[in-house]
Amino acid sequence: MLRILHDTNYDFIRWWKVMAAITVAFILLGLGSLAIKPPNYSIEFTGGTLMQLEFTQPPDVGAIRSTLDQAGIRGAEIQQFGTNREFTVRAQDPGAVAAQSKGAESIAVTIEKVLKQKFGENALRVVRTEAVGPRVGQELRRGAIIAILLSFLITLVYLSIRFEWRFATAAVIATSHDVFTTIAFLKLMHLEISLTVVAGLLTVLGYSLNDTIIIFDRVRENLRKGRKETLYETLNRSINETLPRSVLTHATTFAATLALLIFAGEVIRPFAWVMAFGIVTGTFSSIYVAAPVLLWIERKWPRKTGARPSSSTATPTSRTRRSPATATR
Amino acid sequence: MSLKYRIAIIVALIGASLWTLFPRTVVERVKRNGEFVYDTVRRVPLKRGLDLQGGMHLALEVDESKGPVPDKSKAIDNALKVVRNRIDEFGVSEPVVQKAGSDRIIVELPGIDDPRRAQDVVQKSAFLEFQITDETQALEKALPRLDALLKDTKVAAAVSTPGAPAKTDTTAAGLQSLFTADTSKKADSSKTDSAKAAAGTAGGPGAFSKLIQQGQMPGEYYVAQSDVGLVTQYLAMSEVQAALPPAKVLRWSSDTVSLGNRVYRPLYVLDAKPIITGEYLTDAKPNTSPTEGNLVQFTMNNEGARRFRAETSRHIKDFMAIVLDQRVMGRPPVIQSAIGANGQITMGGKDLQAAQDLALVLRAGSLPVPLKVVEVRQIGASLGQDSIHAGITAGVIAVALVVFIMLGYYRFSGALAVAGLALYILYTLAALAGFQAVLTLPGLAGFVLSIGIAVDANVLIFERIREELAHGKTVRTAIDEGFRHAMSAIVDSNVSTALTAAVLYQYGTGPVRGFAVTLLAGIAASMITSIFVVRTFYMIWLNRSRDAQTSLSI
Repeated sequence: MLRILHDTNYDFIRWWKVMAAITVAFILLGLGSLAIKPPNYSIEFTGGTLMQLEFTQPPDVGAIRSTLDQAGIRGAEIQQFGTNREFTVRAQDPGAVAAQSKGAESIAVTIEKVLKQKFGENALRVVRTEAVGPRVGQELRRGAIIAILLSFLITLVYLSIRFEWRFATAAVIATSHDVFTTIAFLKLMHLEISLTVVAGLLTVLGYSLNDTIIIFDRVRENLRKGRKETLYETLNRSINETLPRSVLTHATTFAATLALLIFAGEVIRPFAWVMAFGIVTGTFSSIYVAAPVLLWIERKWPRKTGARPSSSTATPTSRTRRSPATATR
Repeated sequence: MSLKYRIAIIVALIGASLWTLFPRTVVERVKRNGEFVYDTVRRVPLKRGLDLQGGMHLALEVDESKGPVPDKSKAIDNALKVVRNRIDEFGVSEPVVQKAGSDRIIVELPGIDDPRRAQDVVQKSAFLEFQITDETQALEKALPRLDALLKDTKVAAAVSTPGAPAKTDTTAAGLQSLFTADTSKKADSSKTDSAKAAAGTAGGPGAFSKLIQQGQMPGEYYVAQSDVGLVTQYLAMSEVQAALPPAKVLRWSSDTVSLGNRVYRPLYVLDAKPIITGEYLTDAKPNTSPTEGNLVQFTMNNEGARRFRAETSRHIKDFMAIVLDQRVMGRPPVIQSAIGANGQITMGGKDLQAAQDLALVLRAGSLPVPLKVVEVRQIGASLGQDSIHAGITAGVIAVALVVFIMLGYYRFSGALAVAGLALYILYTLAALAGFQAVLTLPGLAGFVLSIGIAVDANVLIFERIREELAHGKTVRTAIDEGFRHAMSAIVDSNVSTALTAAVLYQYGTGPVRGFAVTLLAGIAASMITSIFVVRTFYMIWLNRSRDAQTSLSI
């Protein structure tokens, strides 16, 4: 039997202050950087035009830029995309976006026209166009924010039903922490915030929550056993007991993420980056945010005196799960 | 549940999945030798999103830039019918035309390789009018007023076209002599026109009259192509609009004419009230004539024919402009005799495809309100193909890595998990096909990711079994206990992920929605395989030799 980190007894939570300092520093770095310069939102959120062009010959980027400038499309961002014959042109300038309120396609039509005039009718091919008018961008932005907040709320409600409120709050705080670190990561990596990245963020939240739930599930069970130990010790024990599972699941998930990162192409790469970072921050927050917060809540609002921890943790559902096997042990 | 039933259920699920995924014959439009034809192809019935198969997504709203539309929701409903008719005739396999919200139309055209043309077909108002050109020289009469008006606003004009008026003037004389030769009817007015133009340069800015010249028929004027922008600007000014002759409209031609080495665009003054509109049209067909090039022939219904005949008989020897979406199509023909049910629209230099498209939109009817595009997503078919390949490569690599980890770490039990994983993939794909979910690129990525996450439930169970074995339980008890204790964690974590996916589905658009659907299908399949299928595998293994299983490779 191959075993990794079996029967460990690390005192994880002892380091929480150091870890908190590290993560707070990281978040502050990210937020500070955000304060200086706003993040890159994709055209889905700001409105704008994105075109992916394939040239027959590697073109001169300067010529593309000057051609677009002359056509009045200023501040367009031109980026190589994969090979040196493929480029994306992104016109996200507020002026250009406002022009699109008449017809979202207008800027894309102009870009194609002037570039074909400059480089020749057959020198380039438009392989992808995304053009979003300002109003649609606004709606999508609102939708994304609602989606994130709503998933928080629903999760909180579900966890409150399945666990008691102390656990639910700790889990949601740990998950919020992941939102902040992921936003900091996106900013520091100069990744663009698109709908797909928001989907990635929500996946990270789900994944991180999974991790927290699995540790808390073990805490709940260990509390029910009524050992004579502090919650601090119970938490540490639970983290140690679930360590092999954590390592293995993170390994398989990371393997899949790595495959996406390397092989799934440019469009998916930002999503894969978010996911890769999410595995790290999700694991981190389950141990170093969820557990200390739970401890802090316990200290602030202790369980009723006289009652053993097990009885107060017992939720309606946990009663059914107090199976004979657990009871006899 | 007895083992027999469990096996029966698993086999039934496999059968159902295979049946759902079995390649079947579908009618598809495919491109062959540059032309689209219907063909039957056999393929796996998994719906691919636009980002994977290529195509175009359009979101349209009522365009209110030319005046407010009172009942937008009703207008959109009517427009939806017209757009649907047009798209049905346009011939795309599995197009989507639907209303989104109260004021938006979504059009999805898979496999479209000419987005500009498709958008034209959707957006063209196709409002057809037949109007008689002006015989009363109304514009000439209005010219002094217009010139006086524009004298006051010459600043704007001077800024927008430095030097343009002077250029027009020099060519004016040559042009005029050209006209006097072949148009006897309008010779006088040409002279006065050129005199006026000359006066304009001499006595200050005769701003408007110097930009236009008399054309070859009543109500026709020529504007140098370089001045078209300026004249359009003038005509858009509200003061100018007020000073224009009443009950007349000015319309640009869709074509240009070359005289000498200069290019002109005709501008027509037309009676504002059309003698008839396209609402009586019953059929329109593209055609090619050796003399007139490509054209569209149309037929009107009985009532339309009756009206058309009555109106045209009153206008013998007049010129009739065929106006489509406020553009005069071709040169207005002279009415020789009363016209009945049939007529034609010449396409100028445009190709046969343009004639086909025009015939299509005329048949499908005109749009009740102008529509504007608020969102376009267009992806080339080859890019979609590349995405599919990249996604499949990533998927295969991900599976290989996960299989390697699971087999390496859990050995025999890992093999059971891998068998479960194979069924997981099968069930998920079948669920996607069965519910006709659309597989998008983010969805594909989500699926690859879920392969990594799917084994989590197995890992939880296996770790639990290991613990139970370490406590000295027998193999059989350890397996039972392992599954039972891991259950609450598996359920809680999967349900919370499912809730997140549901939110994403509700608030996401196209591609992201595809991601949410894949995630949901994956969660369901993973619960089935890890809890039920792998458990059954264990039971089979335990049953094979009753009490002989004293050790478990895990």
